[in-house]
Amino acid sequence: MPSILELQNLKKYFATQKAVDDISLNVERGQIFGLLGPNGAGKTTLIRMITGIFYPDEGQIIFDGKKFDPVNDVGQIGYMPEERGLYKKMKIGEQAMYLAQLKGLSHKDAMAKIKKWFIKFEMESWWNKKVEDLSKGMGQKLQFVTTVLHEPKLIILDEPFSGLDPVNSNLIKDEIYNLAKSGSTIIFSTHRMEQVEEICNHIVLVNKGKKILDGTVKQVKQEFKENLFSIGTEQMLSSQNGNAPFELVGSADHSHVVRIKEGQTPNNVLQYLLQQGIAIHSFNEILPSLNDIFIKLVEGTPTARQFQKVEA
Amino acid sequence: MNKIWIIIKREYLTRVRKKTFIISTLLFPLLYLGLIFGMGFIAEKSKQNLHVAVIDSSGYFSTDAINKQNLADNSSVLTLVKSNTDKIIADHNAEGYDGYIIIPAINWKEGSDSLFFKANKSYGSGSTAAVEAKLNRIWNEIKNDSLQIDTEKQTILVKSKLRVSARNIKDENANVKTAEGIGYVAGFLIYFILLIYGSQVMMGVMEEKTNRIAEVIVSSVKPFQMMLGKILGIGLVALTQFFLWIAFVLIVYNVGKASGAGGGMATEMVGSMQKMFASVNVPLILFCFGFYFLAGFFFYASLYGAIGSAVNEDMREAQSLSFPITMLVIISIALMTAAISDPTGPIAVWGSIIPFSSPIVMMARIPYGVPGTVPVWQLALSMGLLILGFIFTVWFAGKIYRTGILMYGKKPSWKEMIRWAFRKN
Repeated sequence: MPSILELQNLKKYFATQKAVDDISLNVERGQIFGLLGPNGAGKTTLIRMITGIFYPDEGQIIFDGKKFDPVNDVGQIGYMPEERGLYKKMKIGEQAMYLAQLKGLSHKDAMAKIKKWFIKFEMESWWNKKVEDLSKGMGQKLQFVTTVLHEPKLIILDEPFSGLDPVNSNLIKDEIYNLAKSGSTIIFSTHRMEQVEEICNHIVLVNKGKKILDGTVKQVKQEFKENLFSIGTEQMLSSQNGNAPFELVGSADHSHVVRIKEGQTPNNVLQYLLQQGIAIHSFNEILPSLNDIFIKLVEGTPTARQFQKVEA
Repeated sequence: MNKIWIIIKREYLTRVRKKTFIISTLLFPLLYLGLIFGMGFIAEKSKQNLHVAVIDSSGYFSTDAINKQNLADNSSVLTLVKSNTDKIIADHNAEGYDGYIIIPAINWKEGSDSLFFKANKSYGSGSTAAVEAKLNRIWNEIKNDSLQIDTEKQTILVKSKLRVSARNIKDENANVKTAEGIGYVAGFLIYFILLIYGSQVMMGVMEEKTNRIAEVIVSSVKPFQMMLGKILGIGLVALTQFFLWIAFVLIVYNVGKASGAGGGMATEMVGSMQKMFASVNVPLILFCFGFYFLAGFFFYASLYGAIGSAVNEDMREAQSLSFPITMLVIISIALMTAAISDPTGPIAVWGSIIPFSSPIVMMARIPYGVPGTVPVWQLALSMGLLILGFIFTVWFAGKIYRTGILMYGKKPSWKEMIRWAFRKN
């Protein structure tokens, strides 16, 4: 089966910015795909091209094995923008119905699905309320429901947890897992790295309109590991001895952080320590957090993108 | 297409179900009638009945002649004063007069003289006109007596007059007064609709933009469909309001006709309406009204929509940016006033052909008669150009809308907006 979404050399230049500058990526079916990047990296522009709001200047979008056709394919996509939007004065039930019909659902189908979701999220009593009567979190739940109501193949969520309390966050998180399990693909855009680590299978990091990282969470962590291990021991530890296969990075009480030297393996370290007669309590590899990787990659580039003339 | 229909339905239903729609539909005709009758009433009320002392140095005026006129018309009272004139001139209020008029020693044969109504307050021309009319009636009697013209001759003098009014030989039925009236009403109705519903389109677009729902909607439909759906939906609301008003007039008309035998005023009204309808081509006027109303609405509403998409929630930004558009509507009304007094003059002809002003100006000319006053080629050219005009504005607005609706931050200038319209996707 082809991947659900394939971007080939996508470019979108604005008058003063190369918002998306030659990005290619693949999103596999059923994945929870993290689209990461600092503010102004080009994520929103990229998403707007995938949702058919913008046309790319160059490059191709392949959706579900075929060239992306914005008019017909948008019914297969659900998009929840970062800036939430609902009609304040419209009744909640009618609003959900309206958005579902715009996605191409018939009145009857839409009604059945709205009822199902409203029951699931305990929102039945909201039907005749207006959005202006809802709290921010309630509005967020409604927004999520209207995004996934038409059972899209591809769901794009931009910061879906902002403004939600932990209980409702978990509710939405569980639904995201359920949707992925039942075959939907989710593109998840955020800069909250702990959520990405928890939820996503695959991540892409964009910065200044370019893709700078692409891989599974595991791969990425392996790629950026610094051969750091934490060792818990009874005795003090020292790497002063020249032939130790590691150098000591830091110590606190009985736990130590060491960096294994080039060409050595964890086994060499253990062997060495055992030979020294050191009692080992624990031995763990320290993998970098996505947060660290993110900061490392993005650091040093200006935090805000500069405006410049673009020669397209 | 189906999606536009869904948008139209929402735009239409949310507005028609609002209380403000029902209230404004009921109140507008009442306000309109109230304005017309109220102005007449106020004008009548603002006239003051003056008590005027007439100090006559000419010797023509007699107390009898003045009293005769006072009896005939009591809106103001003239009193011929012969003694104590110095006292009145010194302080007319103390003597019980609102003011005084001194008639100089004039000869009746050449007595065209400017007199002054002197008072220690300012009075409007409405009040002094009544006094002037009364004095002239007395003066006429004095002249008639001096010339020995008896009542019979007077009647002839007054009655026998030549009147001239315009009659178009190509269109014998045309009635200038009726045409003027219908032209005014039709022109002003279109003017109101363009301004009120045009700004509703603008506010609606602004609401979607500030609520940030625009991005959700454009991920389902094209921005152009979104804009068109809104314009059509709001246009239908305006149309609904019109049909309700027309129904209201028809009900009043038929009820008046049915009960016509009894009430004098109702019969009079129905009679004058029948006469009015007989002198104009009602189906043509209704058709043209429908056309110019819809086409004019498309023309302006799309421009207002474009502005709504370009600005942020700040109402002042919207006002300053929409000022040129509103000016076009107001200029149209000024042109219409000129066109009504001279329906075949160059201002009328050009104003009714150029697209931006044609909806209002042409509607003021059509009641004068087609093809009598408005040649068929002018009507056809005007309609054709207006169709081209609104196709252009809708296209232009669509381009601005597409960019503006997702753009936040600084208010763009007209120059920038025009650049949005002409750049590639």
